[in-house]
Amino acid sequence: MKKKLNLTGILLIAAFVVFLVLAGRGMPPRDLLITTLRGFSVGSVTFLVAAGFSLIFGLLDVLNLAQGTLYMIGAYVGWTVFVRPDTFVDVTPIILFLMAGFALNFLWDYLADKIKLDPQKKKILGWSMVVVAVALAAFILPRYPIAMWQLNNYAQSPISFSYMADQGIRLPVAPAQAKGIPPMLALYGGLAISALLAFGLALIRYKENRQHSLHWKKWQVFVILLLLGTLIMAFNTPLSNWLMDMNTNWLFIIAIVVSVLSVVGLGALMEKTMIQPLYSRPVYQLMLTLGLGTIGMQLVKAIWGMPEFVLPKPEFFRGAGAACPATSIKDIFTHNCSTIMILGGRVRVYDEIVLPIIGITVLILVWLLLKKTRIGMIIRAGVQDSNMVEALGINVRRVFTFVFALGAGLAALGGVLSAPSNGLSVAMGEKLLLNALIALAIGGLTSYPGAALGSLMVGLIQQFMIKYGQIGIPIPFTDIIFKPTPAIIPASTMLLMVIVLLILPNGLLGRQD
Amino acid sequence: MNLTSPNESILKVQEIQSYISHYHILEEVTFEVPRGSIVALLGRNGAGKTTTLKSILNLVTVKEGEIIFEGRPIQGLTPYEVAQRGIGFVPEHRAVFRDLSVEENLRIAERKKGDFDKKREMIFELFPDLKKFINLRGTELSGGQQQMLAIARALVPDNRLLLIDEPSEGLAPVVIEQMIEVIAELAKKSTVILVDQNFLVTSKLAHQYVIIEEGKSVDRGEMAELIGDQAKIHRYLGVA
Repeated sequence: MKKKLNLTGILLIAAFVVFLVLAGRGMPPRDLLITTLRGFSVGSVTFLVAAGFSLIFGLLDVLNLAQGTLYMIGAYVGWTVFVRPDTFVDVTPIILFLMAGFALNFLWDYLADKIKLDPQKKKILGWSMVVVAVALAAFILPRYPIAMWQLNNYAQSPISFSYMADQGIRLPVAPAQAKGIPPMLALYGGLAISALLAFGLALIRYKENRQHSLHWKKWQVFVILLLLGTLIMAFNTPLSNWLMDMNTNWLFIIAIVVSVLSVVGLGALMEKTMIQPLYSRPVYQLMLTLGLGTIGMQLVKAIWGMPEFVLPKPEFFRGAGAACPATSIKDIFTHNCSTIMILGGRVRVYDEIVLPIIGITVLILVWLLLKKTRIGMIIRAGVQDSNMVEALGINVRRVFTFVFALGAGLAALGGVLSAPSNGLSVAMGEKLLLNALIALAIGGLTSYPGAALGSLMVGLIQQFMIKYGQIGIPIPFTDIIFKPTPAIIPASTMLLMVIVLLILPNGLLGRQD
Repeated sequence: MNLTSPNESILKVQEIQSYISHYHILEEVTFEVPRGSIVALLGRNGAGKTTTLKSILNLVTVKEGEIIFEGRPIQGLTPYEVAQRGIGFVPEHRAVFRDLSVEENLRIAERKKGDFDKKREMIFELFPDLKKFINLRGTELSGGQQQMLAIARALVPDNRLLLIDEPSEGLAPVVIEQMIEVIAELAKKSTVILVDQNFLVTSKLAHQYVIIEEGKSVDRGEMAELIGDQAKIHRYLGVA
């Protein structure tokens, strides 16, 4: 992972900076500053996706092409919590109950060991349970009540909810209706589904010679999930109302946390159920992540619809009026100004200051995780030789799952953070994934600092090209002013990548081997 | 832990057959390891000695046979589960983690928090060099020091059985002498299965031997007897 920047790399970066500045000779300092900040902003979001990609590839050797979709799902989940907290409250209990059955895995393994059947019959019994669970799911899950927006009724569409929430108005929503079976029954049906599924899978994967225990501590997670789910279900209406009326700053933080945790869970599930069986078949993994990415996009399209909408910014970044734009940091806190004047230019607080700060914070936190914690140590060792790590008595598969989930969570964080400035669309993940891949190629595929460097360079060149599109680049010694057209902007990142790779085939910080 | 009978077997390997992808590498390997002894696996290159070690840890697929460690079957468990039962592995080519410092290379082997601190004194007494270079990166050490680090790493948790693969490979004769002393020292506390191409090393250290030829265990017995049997040495090992 540690690879020092060599002279060629330093020269390349220097040339890059000199190019940006020289080409921007005509730019007033405030434009230069704003463009640079925008570059950092785009770079931060790109970095969150790229860092996850790079960590996953480094340890697991999996090119997770679903990373863009996970970014998008993060944004949509965050939007749902923020704009439709009632839907979020409706969905949570059933998700917790569907997890609860798997929290009892230790019990299923114990029972699978106790059942006196020959292995073949155990497998048959297991598969039958899985089939029953799926049938039960097909019956129960559609009958579970969830209050949702509608895609075919504009007044009830996500766009309308977004727009009104942006005006600070909560559209009235009809609470979810029971559909044939009592909601509590549907909820506990969810537990039955997951229990059957988990037990079935335990029977299928059963192996001899393991030791099992039913220590009381192992029941904790199950009990917590069950209690939490039941409580949320029982206090559905007051909880929804509380979230609806909540200060949007807190709601935004909740939206970020829920979105990241959901996608962390999704990532862990993906790795455990689909990626893990394919570790010996890298090409299948590639196709799998690509396919999952596409399926995810279609699911998002089916649930939230095609049209684009935005996640409204929380109150803290919406202030306007006489005292704004802010002229000092203090103004931001007292008047919540959405913009601040720096060098005579208006800088957007959320997009151009907060996002880069978060990007840098995450960069440092993940770096500390890698360097200062035991799990980071295991990751660094596992990147080199995961078999040897396992032979030391470390459950390296669990670390794989952790890293995959972490990478997914970083992407989700990027998604939900960029949603207020860039909006939500079905295509948002694809665009960002391409940027992230270019950033990684520039920085070096398995290098964590390389991911940061590459993302920053991609962000900068994009924003500078957009700016040059407005002001033009004066070509030296001629009267020609070259204006990049919108088509050149995405091409400029590619061009940067091509130049870097021609000189340093492994990227700026990649291993030169 | 049961240390009452000195001749009790800590490990029994019974008629195992192992595969690396679809290649049938071990056809029938059987041997026992008495607690407290050093057992050498001998045989020519490619006979299946390393695969036998890896089979014990289930790092390769064991399809048939039984492996019993301290009275309990362990085949079919994942490598980390096997290791956690108390088996340490020192692989060939040293396999020191290059992005980890010497200390981290040792700490990573902890199974409980504090394992390393408990063994610290003992390890540094055995390997004074490691204490000196505690903050260097794993790969900044010399070949011999890396080998010592790989062995020390296996000593951090309470391992009752150590599997040591080719410890003398690529080392200078002086360093090999030190290596022999170290292995003899640590064998006082745990049982060792040793694989080494260098017959001088195995003959000095091992109490018992198992000869593996083309994936089968063809002969076993006391090392002292083998040393006297030049014909056998020549026939199976090609050294005189």
